Amino acid sequence: MGTLTIGCFASLVGSKSLDFTLKLADAAADKGHKVNIWLSGNATALGKNHQKHLKDYSTGEKPVLELMKKGVEVCECEACALARGILKPDAIEGIQWNAMHWYLAKIYSSDRVLHVGGE
Amino acid sequence: MNLGVFINDYKGIIETVDRLKADKLGFIFIQNGVFHATLKEQGKSSPLLDKTANLYVLAEDIATRGLTEADVDKRVKVVTYADVVDLIFNDYEKLAWV
Repeated sequence: MGTLTIGCFASLVGSKSLDFTLKLADAAADKGHKVNIWLSGNATALGKNHQKHLKDYSTGEKPVLELMKKGVEVCECEACALARGILKPDAIEGIQWNAMHWYLAKIYSSDRVLHVGGE
Repeated sequence: MNLGVFINDYKGIIETVDRLKADKLGFIFIQNGVFHATLKEQGKSSPLLDKTANLYVLAEDIATRGLTEADVDKRVKVVTYADVVDLIFNDYEKLAWV
């Protein structure tokens, strides 16, 4: 089994790239691989708690909670989150907060890296 | 180096893809990139399909757009998310997103 680290910069609403990231992570975790997800830029919206599941809108809270139960590590870029008014007390429980060095460390210890660009 | 390229859009990426060099190059069409595998413009398939024999398209993203496997060019293999994971770990040590 290997380790896959995915860095995602795409937003939760208005882009399907974050959906893709979560589904790919789920498939990899189901196959027994270790998965890390780094959320940066607009992707940090995923880390906000109490997301309401509106029709035709993407929602990430439930899937990301399921991923973390499977051992997937998820980390917010703290600066990106704070810049968007997302504060640590508002974060989904279990999501890590850190700086870019978290992502770099995961990259160096991973077998595969996929960097998903933003809008 | 084996390079797997995720292609998530239909327009404006040919020049970028042309700059990619690899011993083995694979294209994985996802999101609106699936139109490379399914559309013809003026009777011609996407030029990306001529650049490598290693072509994949995500089944879920075909279905999301109202398309079926019958719409997919015969050169392109239809894959699931689980298949994509296997491609990542077994076939392509480097990955790109365009």
